[in-house]
Amino acid sequence: MLSTRDLVVGYDERTVLDGLDLTLPADAFTVIVGPNACGKSTLLRTMARLLTPSRGAVLLDGTAIRDLPTREVAQRLGVLPQSPLVPEGVTVADLVGRGRQPYQRWWRQWSERDGAAVDEAMALADVAALADRPVDTLSGGQRQRVWIAMTLAQDTETLLLDEPTTFLDLAHQVEVLDLLHRLRVERGRTVVAVLHDLNQAARYADHLVAMRAGRVVAVGPPREILTVELVRDVFGLDCVVVPCPVSGAPLVVPALTTPSLTAAVPAALPDSSSALPDGSSTTAPSAVSSSTPSAVSSSTTSSAVSSSAGPSAG
Amino acid sequence: MSARPLTEAHPRSAPAGRTLLRLGPLRAPVRRRPLLVAAALVALLAAAGVLSLSLGTPYVAPPDVLRALTGAGTPYDLVVLDLRLPRLVLAAVAGAAFGVAGTLVQSVSRNPLASPDVIGITQGAGLAATVALTSGVAAVLIAPAALLGGLAAAAAVFALGARHGLAAQRFVLAGVAVAFGVRALIEVVLMAADPIDGMRAQIWLLGTLAGKGWTETAWIAATLLALLPALLWAGWALNSTALDDDTARGLGLRPVARRVGLAGTGVLAAAMATAQVGAVDFVALVAPQLARRLVRAERPPLLCSALLGALLLTLADLAGRRLFAPTQLPAGVLTAAIGGPYLIFLLLRRRRGPS
Repeated sequence: MLSTRDLVVGYDERTVLDGLDLTLPADAFTVIVGPNACGKSTLLRTMARLLTPSRGAVLLDGTAIRDLPTREVAQRLGVLPQSPLVPEGVTVADLVGRGRQPYQRWWRQWSERDGAAVDEAMALADVAALADRPVDTLSGGQRQRVWIAMTLAQDTETLLLDEPTTFLDLAHQVEVLDLLHRLRVERGRTVVAVLHDLNQAARYADHLVAMRAGRVVAVGPPREILTVELVRDVFGLDCVVVPCPVSGAPLVVPALTTPSLTAAVPAALPDSSSALPDGSSTTAPSAVSSSTPSAVSSSTTSSAVSSSAGPSAG
Repeated sequence: MSARPLTEAHPRSAPAGRTLLRLGPLRAPVRRRPLLVAAALVALLAAAGVLSLSLGTPYVAPPDVLRALTGAGTPYDLVVLDLRLPRLVLAAVAGAAFGVAGTLVQSVSRNPLASPDVIGITQGAGLAATVALTSGVAAVLIAPAALLGGLAAAAAVFALGARHGLAAQRFVLAGVAVAFGVRALIEVVLMAADPIDGMRAQIWLLGTLAGKGWTETAWIAATLLALLPALLWAGWALNSTALDDDTARGLGLRPVARRVGLAGTGVLAAAMATAQVGAVDFVALVAPQLARRLVRAERPPLLCSALLGALLLTLADLAGRRLFAPTQLPAGVLTAAIGGPYLIFLLLRRRRGPS
């Protein structure tokens, strides 16, 4: 279980986090949200010991992380930074194999367990078929799955991911989030991610952490804490929160703020806004109502994706 | 692309394309290709060695060379064993040191154009040697002075590059800056020097093996031997130099300490080799990249780079001795002559390749 105690982190003169206390539940998918520069990435990077706090501590099962050997931490806590550098020419299997570093020494560079962990990680992230391809020839979505496979090969109980869906198209975003969700449900991993998209956070998170200006504003299950007031507090945005027609999770729809947009509504908006719920509920109404948010089938998701992508593109 | 994962029935006993090397408690996955390349390089080096011992005035037939080497006693013992062998071994050992140094510096800087002669180590040694040669210091002190000069230049590069944890770009930039500054100082010293001393310094700066032998070899070999534990570690640690610092830290590594250790090892090898044979250019630059292409790896391989460095310097010295005989060219001139076209080749390859 990961927690922070009186955490103060800053860059040079600027303090980003000022006395932050937070406990992240084990065996949950925690998503950290907040506006740009609210300190959410800083928090994640500090918890992953990529940044050193100037005061306070990050605790892993009650022990300050800086008092633990870095190798031991790497066996318990995996991290995927925001945009890792792909080594030139390295193959998928090789890169995933680097995830075994915390278990290796220069005199014992490979063991049977390493092989098994790499194979399992590649299967789980669905990159086994790409094993011998150079990573720099893959698409963005494939590449992200390879990086996730590398952190999976690390075989840690906790995984921290810094905006794992940035730079991916919507279908690949869903793919990555589904994978993280499966890790939590099927493998009992504790997953912590920073996400930009509130609605994706609401759909996938068991536990939501909303931050603003270096402070935690609200913590809890999305269905309990994601309200109009919270979005106004955190993002300074007026919105409507409705149940998502597909998952039932809260869905944040920004209120219309510009008169000219309102004027354009009769022509474009009613069509596209009604097409999504009607379309998906007529195609598979029973599947939608019976499925829990955790078991959204990929076919439902992809039909929702394609029906929403159509009008907005046109 | 298939949607279903292709799970293999058995876990890989070693990563793809590799054989697991077991040596007592030692477990290391090694690629098959580098082993083959290394074997081929050893064979080529042996052939080049025999050729180097046999060519010259007088010419010694290869069978006689082999007989002399095995101690059978031939009329050519003096020529082969006392005149040519020391120089040959020195070329091989110094070349290997340059290959090792180039590999380490290039991997740390993630830059195929970085090498000890680009980041100021060679220039530092050159400045110290030039000062020593033009100020009438005893000849035995020239190599130690050059060694200190090389290490001092490296210290300057480390100090300048250290602010951001010896990050790749900064490391190279600091090195290039130091190299240019020191080169200017060398010119100043040469201008002020007595012309005869200046000429001797110029020859040192080109790098030559003429008149050198076992003593120089012993110094370089002892340095490499002392660095052996570091080199064994480096062969492993080099695997992570291509990862960015955040990813490396996430894997429990200490990227900054690693870079300092690797670059420091390379600097020691380069400074000692340069101090003994002079500023032989380009071997440290070319050998690692050529070796990398031969083994088709994502980074220069340590062992093959060392072997290739040895082969290159052996051939360069042989060519320098024989190409314009009886005039002898310093080996450094030949390596520079190979190095220039090689850089052009590298540029052309990069443009054509998949980036």
